[in-house]
Amino acid sequence: MRDDVIYFDNGATSWPKPPEMGEAMMHFLTEVGASPGRSGHTLAVEAGHIVYSCRENLCKLFNLKHPQQIAFTKNITEALNIVFFTILEKGDHVITTSMEHNSVMRPLRYLESQGVIELTVVQANPEGVCAVEDFAAAVKPNTRMVVVNHSSNVTGTLQDIQAISKACKAKKEDVLFVVDTAQSAGAYPLDAEKMGIDILCFTGHKSLLGPTGTGGVYLTPAVTPRPFMHGGSGSKSDMEVHPLFMPDVWEAGTINIVGLAGLNAGLEYLLKTGVANIRAHEIAVTQRFIDGIKDHPMVKVYGPLDANQKTPVTSINIEGIVCSTVGTELNDACGIMVRTGLHCAPGAHRTIGTFPVGSVRFSFGGYTTPEEVDVGIKAIRALADYAAEQKEA
Amino acid sequence: MEQQQKQQIGVVTFFSSQHAMSAEEALKAKGYQVSLMPGPKDISPNCGVALQFEPEKKAEVETILKEADVLFEAVHLYTPVQEKSLLKRLLGK
Repeated sequence: MRDDVIYFDNGATSWPKPPEMGEAMMHFLTEVGASPGRSGHTLAVEAGHIVYSCRENLCKLFNLKHPQQIAFTKNITEALNIVFFTILEKGDHVITTSMEHNSVMRPLRYLESQGVIELTVVQANPEGVCAVEDFAAAVKPNTRMVVVNHSSNVTGTLQDIQAISKACKAKKEDVLFVVDTAQSAGAYPLDAEKMGIDILCFTGHKSLLGPTGTGGVYLTPAVTPRPFMHGGSGSKSDMEVHPLFMPDVWEAGTINIVGLAGLNAGLEYLLKTGVANIRAHEIAVTQRFIDGIKDHPMVKVYGPLDANQKTPVTSINIEGIVCSTVGTELNDACGIMVRTGLHCAPGAHRTIGTFPVGSVRFSFGGYTTPEEVDVGIKAIRALADYAAEQKEA
Repeated sequence: MEQQQKQQIGVVTFFSSQHAMSAEEALKAKGYQVSLMPGPKDISPNCGVALQFEPEKKAEVETILKEADVLFEAVHLYTPVQEKSLLKRLLGK
């Protein structure tokens, strides 16, 4: 594996992956190859077992009961869009937060602009935390969904989704609680039942350690789904009407089986290693990073300074140096890969006060080492010292 | 010395990195010296990838991109605030 880079962009996609992940994809391509749910031959059944195992492992990871209530999509953006566009109807009210990623805000703003939904955006504080009571206060008779980003892709801030769900449902029992777990699934223990999650959207290629092109949604059996794509499903082939049962209703056409073989291996690695252990490691490296830079007068660290209150995503700025320049310098001098700018979350940047300048985002992962973090700290402090000298001059 | 290092550069900013790649191909095909770079956030909040070109070629670059039907946000003449390879110097590399 290449050793000329220090990868701090796990918030975009996780890297490296466990070796088993690539091996599982290769195994599928060379030894299995078939499409499940169509033919009934040996290879198709084997492929079907891989996909079913993936559903089951997700249920184990998220404490869900019904594997067939999980539909696979190409990414979490697709999963969220399917949920919004097939479930929401004219007159529905939706509550969401100011920390959402564009995969939530863009479809909701679009539906609002088309006069389909009313939208309430709960404003988070400058650290990115939303007050639970603000959600309950916003619930009305026509509130259909509450949509919350579990962990911000800008600051890592965790929302107390269990408390939010409880508070909303105490006011209106049948509200659908939708959670965007892009930054939390695999990095933070998720118990869908305990946390009152009705619709759990996930991505396969971040902390679930699968390849890009995988993701999906768990839908509560309480909702009758409508198709968004109509096509072949390997079921009810005598009919020219798309089936309405999960997962087929939301899995028209051939799904990304080779990708799911990889995702399944990633999930097995997670279940074997334990999300709690990965979280402990990620808290440690994140805290080391924050503690190494927070005292510098030219450095601003956004979001909670306690790594226990967030996932391993941290945004910073160095006063006097544009974020894109910080990113370029880290890349060129140290091989450090970060993401600078607005991170597809303008609302989150408005919330923390970095709109439109953006920030430098460091997102660590299970493979991030303390030594790598120290290289990052040294580089940031060198730039910050320079910025201080320039300020005095 | 520091003045020499802070030279004006030509930068094309884009809405999408795929457009940046198209622009790079179109200009390289015509023999221009261009390279992809992180988009400077002080001139555009948009796409993370921009294209650097020789500043004296600004008019030609714009013409070629329009002829090649490449969607771009704007063509800038940009003076980076900090010197090139600042961090390398600071870390003594």
